[in-house]
Amino acid sequence: MSVVVQPLPEVNPLQDPLRFSRRVPPCAIVIFGASGDLSKRKLLPSLYRLFYERRISPSFAVVGSSRTPMSDDEFRRRMVDSVSKFLEDAPFDKEIWDSFAQCLFYVPGDLTNPGSYDDLRNKLDGIEKSHQTAGNVLFYLSTQPSHYAEAILELGAHGLNRGNGWRRVIIEKPFGHDLLSARKLNDEIHKVFLESDVYRIDHYLGKETVQNILAFRFGNGIFEPLWNRRYVDNVQITAAESIGVEGRGGYYQEAGALRDMIQNHLSQVMATVAMEPPTIFDATNVRDERAKLLRAVRVVKPEDVPKHAVAGQYGPAKVGGEDLPGFRQEPSVDPQAQTDTYAAVTFFIDNWRWADVPFYIRTGKRLPKRVTDIAIQFKAPPLGLFTQETKGGLRAARPNLLVLRIQPEEGISLRFLSKSPGSGMRVRPVSMDFNYGSSFGERTPTAYETLLVDAMSGDPTLYTRQDMVEASWQIVQPILDVWTNTKFDFPNYAAGTWGPKASDEMLARQGHVWRIP
Amino acid sequence: MSSAVIFPAHPENILKGLGKLWTSLGQEEKQQGKPTVLRACAMTLIVATDEADSGFAASQTISELMHSHPARGIVLAVSPDAEKSLEARVLAQCWKPFGKAQQICCEQIEITARPQSWPNVGPTLVGLTVADLPVIFWCRHKGALRQAATKEEHAGLEAITSLATKIVVDTHDMPASEAVTLIERWQARERVVADLEWTRLTPWREPLAHLFDVCEYKLADFHSIDIEYTDERPTMAALYLAGWLSLYRPKVSFRRVGGYLPGVHRVTFHSDSKTIDFARTGPDSAVLHSASGRECTYNFGEPAVTALMTEELALMGVDPAFNAAFARVRELLLDTP
Repeated sequence: MSVVVQPLPEVNPLQDPLRFSRRVPPCAIVIFGASGDLSKRKLLPSLYRLFYERRISPSFAVVGSSRTPMSDDEFRRRMVDSVSKFLEDAPFDKEIWDSFAQCLFYVPGDLTNPGSYDDLRNKLDGIEKSHQTAGNVLFYLSTQPSHYAEAILELGAHGLNRGNGWRRVIIEKPFGHDLLSARKLNDEIHKVFLESDVYRIDHYLGKETVQNILAFRFGNGIFEPLWNRRYVDNVQITAAESIGVEGRGGYYQEAGALRDMIQNHLSQVMATVAMEPPTIFDATNVRDERAKLLRAVRVVKPEDVPKHAVAGQYGPAKVGGEDLPGFRQEPSVDPQAQTDTYAAVTFFIDNWRWADVPFYIRTGKRLPKRVTDIAIQFKAPPLGLFTQETKGGLRAARPNLLVLRIQPEEGISLRFLSKSPGSGMRVRPVSMDFNYGSSFGERTPTAYETLLVDAMSGDPTLYTRQDMVEASWQIVQPILDVWTNTKFDFPNYAAGTWGPKASDEMLARQGHVWRIP
Repeated sequence: MSSAVIFPAHPENILKGLGKLWTSLGQEEKQQGKPTVLRACAMTLIVATDEADSGFAASQTISELMHSHPARGIVLAVSPDAEKSLEARVLAQCWKPFGKAQQICCEQIEITARPQSWPNVGPTLVGLTVADLPVIFWCRHKGALRQAATKEEHAGLEAITSLATKIVVDTHDMPASEAVTLIERWQARERVVADLEWTRLTPWREPLAHLFDVCEYKLADFHSIDIEYTDERPTMAALYLAGWLSLYRPKVSFRRVGGYLPGVHRVTFHSDSKTIDFARTGPDSAVLHSASGRECTYNFGEPAVTALMTEELALMGVDPAFNAAFARVRELLLDTP
């Protein structure tokens, strides 16, 4: 009998995972839409920063591609301006840039022109030899979403989906504009790439504080026993923006708040807050649990949509002495637009842990401040023994509140009652704070830095999978369908306020109120 | 904000002083009607200095370190000029993160001792460490670290090291044999030991290690390694680098050269057909020439002591790479005539 012994993968004896950043294998990154805003503001600054911090392999290259004709040198010159301008909390070093720039290349081309892909292949072949990228290629689709399917099919047709190393593709949001289009896009992608090579980006999942939710829940023993319907009264997820559409009126008019935020970012945040613990912390298990949670969200019946979802649109107002336009007065926006710039939804999760606990999600533009947080409101003690020094009302009855702050003051606060100093037994709420920035003073990587490193390293934990995307579309689709066929009396909230009155009424029906973040 | 001198420097007196300090900070909050101060502590950090270290601004360094590693800082200064044999002072080190309303505050205790009182600081420190959190001892007391330390100096040092979860030392100015003996002694007592000379090597080690992620390179193919240094003799940094790289027992040779900064200047790997070279090209930069002929420039300034300590304070447990390199350094020293 002979036994075939598989050779073990080569282990680099010099690696020191305690001190060195995670190893990123040699690779080339192809950015489609390289002259676009995302490339200039996020992708190139993130890659430069990773290079500056020695977090990416010296055997690395970036190939930008877009319709604008330019040479490698011209691309480098344009990018140096963007990188120096959009680097967040990080210095720009000319010498390091010169070294980084040697890794930048450009291929002009139109995604619809098959000849462009031949040029790209030739460029990649050359780079594989000159930069020792081991044939590994990460394609980044940062183009118009309508071109995703076509670009991927062309990559397949030109054999760019296979080579000497791995081939992966990152796809920016929006992933489809409804359930049907998302499914269709998935089908097209799977003609060319295996699901394991598809990285659907949701930059919220790359945020340190969203990742910290998992550490907080599953790294500690004291919170998880309380994390269920027996102790939790309701959960409120807020993603508020104080700005308007900022020149993106045309795009936003077609998308709306529900599609732009709740279908992707906030449903993923809800899944992270509510999912079951994975058996082991790896991509498959974490994503399985997120997907399972999203599948357990009750799909609202069309006739119940008005009870469970509220659409809003901001109108003009004077805020801080400044006249702010309403959405319909924004440039490139239809003066009769029915777009939701505010959306609030009540979700119920039909599983044993969360049955009957409402998860309220709201997002909107032109709200009083920029804040994203998750508030877990715990139930009141069975007997109210003490008099509270509060204004009274519903919130006062439930003193224990755990707030996970995503931005801008990342951290965790726990509110509880404490005895007021002096004689007599009077109590008042106090807050115990953990501030992410002050406890870990070092600079935190941006979401794009985290996600790019993960994709290069083949770790899809923070990326969404086909079934997760489809499940999140499934829960918002009935709301979208009803809203599409509704003529709203917009605007229904003034810029600088916390949204329409109907949103407060939605919570009041359940005996709750929105907290003010 | 700081207190008056506390004497005698009994732990209970010092803790009482700290209590008063926090109460007064709380008064400010009460006046302003909102939380203005956040108290932060993740460890006890003891820094011992002596006269030879008088240029070192311990309080300033601790206040910089607390941005990443909030701690109860205890600065232990041994000076013949101290007014009393052992006296203390407490203060709060506060900083306000950019754009935030609340200050982050850490408490600090400064203890001044005359040299003859140095052996008595142990009992004071026992009562001052924060319960249930790690105790880091950063020893900058050069006298106590010398092989020729007096009995008193030695006793004082032992009293503090017995409290420590981790001991941090900087052997840059020490003869290699003395440094090895010192670290060996602490390791024999199962203390976690860190040497800032090793920490200085991280910017050298990381790019070199990444080179061997590429499958064409195998460390075993390189039969000799040249290390150039700028000091009078190979410092512990040069020896650590040799220890770390000599896993496959290549021939290691050292050479003194002129350069931009103290420490390692260049490392070159030789195989039969390839060369890898990594050298400082200025006070702030280094260039790596890989075997394929490509070159890569790195930002490579002399790391500040706060940066080195920040790295060390992030690692509380055993450091296997350091231990392996240190073990090899001992062998290299034995091999060297």
